[in-house]
Amino acid sequence: MDELILKLKREIIDVLNLEEVSPEDIATDAPLFGEGLGLDSIDALELIVLMEKNYGIKLKDPTQGRDLFKSIRVMAEYIRENRTK
Amino acid sequence: MRPLYVRRTACVTTRAARVNGEEIPVVATSDPFLTALYRRLGIDYPRFFKMDGLSKLGFLASELLFWGDASRFLPREDCAVICFSRTSSLDTDRRYQASMRDYPSPSLFVYTLPNIVTAEIAIRNKLYGETSVYICETYNPHQIFRTIRNTFAHQPLRSALAGWTEYDGDTGEAFLMQIETQAASASEPLLSAGFLTTAKHNL
Repeated sequence: MDELILKLKREIIDVLNLEEVSPEDIATDAPLFGEGLGLDSIDALELIVLMEKNYGIKLKDPTQGRDLFKSIRVMAEYIRENRTK
Repeated sequence: MRPLYVRRTACVTTRAARVNGEEIPVVATSDPFLTALYRRLGIDYPRFFKMDGLSKLGFLASELLFWGDASRFLPREDCAVICFSRTSSLDTDRRYQASMRDYPSPSLFVYTLPNIVTAEIAIRNKLYGETSVYICETYNPHQIFRTIRNTFAHQPLRSALAGWTEYDGDTGEAFLMQIETQAASASEPLLSAGFLTTAKHNL
């Protein structure tokens, strides 16, 4: 699980161009939106693409993202249970 | 017609940056030049890293124009942002088109609008006046001068950032002027298109 969390942090930094952020800067349980990393709605769409592209998880309902993108840990747990690649 | 004055000019290319013709020294690093310039200026605006090349150029040129201005973040409705460009967002349009072969990129899609560069400058500086982008075949000083004059004639403006922004194939330039209706100590009158020809040539 720790390995997946670290991989996910690196992927998020890369896909969202978070140049000034390192994996250590991202608290595993901190909120990704609003506070924390301060991501916006376009970032949410990029995370949906990331889930499908890297893990084969297709979110049919975009509002699922609201719960799924609560934190890195929540994302990682969802990926572990639902990934197809 | 109210007289117009140019307080400051800034030019940023993918290799150098100048304010009023004077080069800003930037130490070469492994970063691309625009990122190195961002760090050199000590800017803290993470959104910069999400911008496309055209917006980065325009953003950095506007940062140089507002450099040292203590009131720069006060909301203003009387300041316009007017840009002229040949290829506008074409570079990002191509990148977005390429991404469609795999997964279309939402963050690239955002920048497939010619006027996003003016929006980035306006958002950063809380400028609520007119923002506009004109696509022209070439850098045409007469057309740019006429458009700037007309914008000031029809809007209750006191200032504007205006100029040429161009980015295609990893190279480009942004040449912006800080134009005001009041003369400042070091400002120059914007009397004709000749100023635009000379100013850009000297950069």
